[in-house]
Amino acid sequence: MTAETTAPLLEVSNLRTWFPSGKGEVKAVDGVSFSLAPGEVLGLVGESGSGKSITGFSIIGLIDEPGRIVEGSIRLEGRELIGLAPHELRAIRGKTISMVFQDPMMTLNPVLSIGTQIKLALEAHERISAAEARERAIKALAQVRITEPERKIDFFPHQFSGGMRQRVAIAIALLHRPKLIICDEPTTALDVSIQAEILAEMKELVAELGTALIWISHDLATVSSIADRVAVMRFGKIVEIGPALGVLTRPQHDYTKALLDALPSRAKPGELLLRGSGIADAAPPHRKNATSDLPPLGSPYLVIDAAVKRFEKPAGLFRNLAIRSGIAQPQTVVRAVDGVSITLKRGEVLGLVGESGSGKSTLGRMAAGITVPTSGTVHLAGKPVMSNGRNPRKVTTRIQTIFQDPFASLNSRMRVGDIVAEGPLAHKLVSRAEAPAYVGQWLSAVGLDPSFANRFPHQFSGGQRQRIAIARALAMQPDVVVCDEPVASLDVSIQAQIINLLIRLRSELDLSLIFISHDLSVVRHLCDRVAIMYRGRIVEEGGAATIYDNPQHDYTKRLLAAVPVLPTAA
Amino acid sequence: MLGFILQRLWQAAVVVLAMSALVFCGVYAVGNPIDVLISPDATQDIRAAVIAQYGLDLPLWQQYFGFLGRVLEGDFGRSFVYNMPVSELILSRLPATLELTLAAVLFASLVGIPIGMYAGYRPHSQVSRAIMALSILGFSVPTFWFGLMLIMLFAVQCGCMPAGGRGDTVSLFGVDFSFLTADGLSHMILPALNLALFKFSLMIRLARAGTRELMLSDTVKFARAAGISEFTILSRHVLRLISIPLVTVFGLELGSTLAFAVVTETIFSWPGLGKLIIDSITSLDRPVMVAYLMLVAMLFIVINLVVDLTYALLDPRLRKGRA
Repeated sequence: MTAETTAPLLEVSNLRTWFPSGKGEVKAVDGVSFSLAPGEVLGLVGESGSGKSITGFSIIGLIDEPGRIVEGSIRLEGRELIGLAPHELRAIRGKTISMVFQDPMMTLNPVLSIGTQIKLALEAHERISAAEARERAIKALAQVRITEPERKIDFFPHQFSGGMRQRVAIAIALLHRPKLIICDEPTTALDVSIQAEILAEMKELVAELGTALIWISHDLATVSSIADRVAVMRFGKIVEIGPALGVLTRPQHDYTKALLDALPSRAKPGELLLRGSGIADAAPPHRKNATSDLPPLGSPYLVIDAAVKRFEKPAGLFRNLAIRSGIAQPQTVVRAVDGVSITLKRGEVLGLVGESGSGKSTLGRMAAGITVPTSGTVHLAGKPVMSNGRNPRKVTTRIQTIFQDPFASLNSRMRVGDIVAEGPLAHKLVSRAEAPAYVGQWLSAVGLDPSFANRFPHQFSGGQRQRIAIARALAMQPDVVVCDEPVASLDVSIQAQIINLLIRLRSELDLSLIFISHDLSVVRHLCDRVAIMYRGRIVEEGGAATIYDNPQHDYTKRLLAAVPVLPTAA
Repeated sequence: MLGFILQRLWQAAVVVLAMSALVFCGVYAVGNPIDVLISPDATQDIRAAVIAQYGLDLPLWQQYFGFLGRVLEGDFGRSFVYNMPVSELILSRLPATLELTLAAVLFASLVGIPIGMYAGYRPHSQVSRAIMALSILGFSVPTFWFGLMLIMLFAVQCGCMPAGGRGDTVSLFGVDFSFLTADGLSHMILPALNLALFKFSLMIRLARAGTRELMLSDTVKFARAAGISEFTILSRHVLRLISIPLVTVFGLELGSTLAFAVVTETIFSWPGLGKLIIDSITSLDRPVMVAYLMLVAMLFIVINLVVDLTYALLDPRLRKGRA
């Protein structure tokens, strides 16, 4: 761009931000240098722990104790920011440099109205009357394309959707027309279609106002769609920096290449990802319950028929009595799943795709026998998954689930061995004497050392925990596994490992999978058939290749169009 | 909102009714007031006459329903000991307790919350450590001992404060209050301090814990990134966010202090409700006990209702469901 001809807006050189810890200093940022021209967009890419967010916080002067900048210089329009007094830094924050964070749920104050929050941000740098502040706030909301700003200004954050909240945060960041905005994973918590909107609007606003942008993200594709230049970070250092197109199509550094290779969108569907498997995984243990009684591969196996899940408003004592005796109807608040029929063939991987609130997780939970359908049935090989009666419960062990968040789904007070052995012991799949060996076999099958059985979950990384969760599900010797966003909270390289693990285990164990995800590229890579969910219904269903190459429903088309695409080398 | 209040009032009526039955039976089991009421050498005739006069010869359920009927007419009965209507007796003592507890709870909140927030804002400073040490002391020192120390120090040793009693009062709307006269105020300071100590420590700890947690939150980070000053962040963002647990505890403490300020009132011979209830228990003054305990139940219900309404005021997310 024009970086060579104009004086840089921001110059960071040899920045080191360290955090003291029990084991010495953690060098979160360790010698980062780059410069940014006015109006330029720099993408800062890296996996978690690479120091990209800490770099952003260092620039805006918000490093939490006990972290500190030990060395380096940050010059904004020639003025050194390191060593400024707190009040001098405060005068710059929000005025010249502002910041947008990842989760708009967490950043806006839930108990103050949008108008009040904007007013506080205005008053931070200007003397302004209440009426004038209100007028400016309405303008600010209109600028980020919030409809009816006069009315919405008195709303509270919980009355907005995630995308709208992020727009409000961006409006606050833009209030004083800053020269630089640091965006820390601003679209990560949002659905693809909202992400696409925000990206487009951000691009326009930046061009219109001439604001420079540092866009911090783990997602190469979104970065490529907005950034002029890209810097790839690893272990607190920038390993590669250059024009976006150049870095992403002709990466020079091995790590950049590895990051790109780990993306499922760059590989042929169904194949092992290039950089995914670093560990030679052992074969899973022999299954005890013979597979001879199972229907052949490819025949209908798990049948969901007209499943409906309504969530009802809790009623008071009298209303409850009236409902029991049939006088009154329960008040439906949400129809999470609204009459879905779908069949999973044996050995097939079925992708359930949809945005948040589409009902995909609820459908998955009904398929897995965790949630009781309001009406409709779920049958596995002709037998119901849930028992009848007042308090239906799951009656089969052949369906198991892997959840999204491996930090929440593992009991932190139990040893890994006990977590994996708990189910098989309860259902007498193994005897107590055989259990340790059995657990060890499954741990090595998912690529973990069998000796890890004695450790606690907190001693493991996110990827390792997800492996434990997979071992726990598979140790029950299921035929069907419902995977609810199993890779959504993982870094790309770890994600690639888990995807490879799932591909391998699926073929070795003849598993049928229901794979729930919002990530269209992962679904494309892993699934044979795809069902697109929207507002509790399946709007389109078919072979993965058919749907991706030739979508029929409008919603599917919109969804596919919203996915940011990496530039490929010509 | 109106429906919510009506529903709560209906609940309150049920709770008070249940409370009255429980208390009535409980008090009945405690002992026979006749033994206290008449001298042991009274003749059998006098004894029978007194029993009949108070209706104590009737079966329990008849006594209870008779009592309920009279309560509906606003008559809580007459105190055996003071020989005056219970409602009048309680109303004459209530203002003293009310002003003492309000002074104590307000002091604990208005001073405790800012101090606690400071301790949460700078958790590692020397001042904060001193504040926390003070609050632990406030938790662990027994009320009666602290009261005695206050009297010894300020009333006996330096003589600048009165040791007990209520001092001069001024009549306002027909009720006597001490806080409007200088003498009354000086009488109030020591007992209020004594009563406030525990609540003060509690408020400090709550405010500190909430502030400490919030200072690390993204909300505060985002406000800082917008250049908002630390004082505004604390006073506008943090205070609002920590106020819900504070209001909960404020309500609970206000209720329990109103009902059970006994120790402090005894030490400082403050003529409030606490002294009245202790006296009526020792003299088996049944009507006073029953009316007092029903009043306490009612107080807790009203305070909780106010606390719930305050929640809705403080947190917009709670408004929708109750509209």
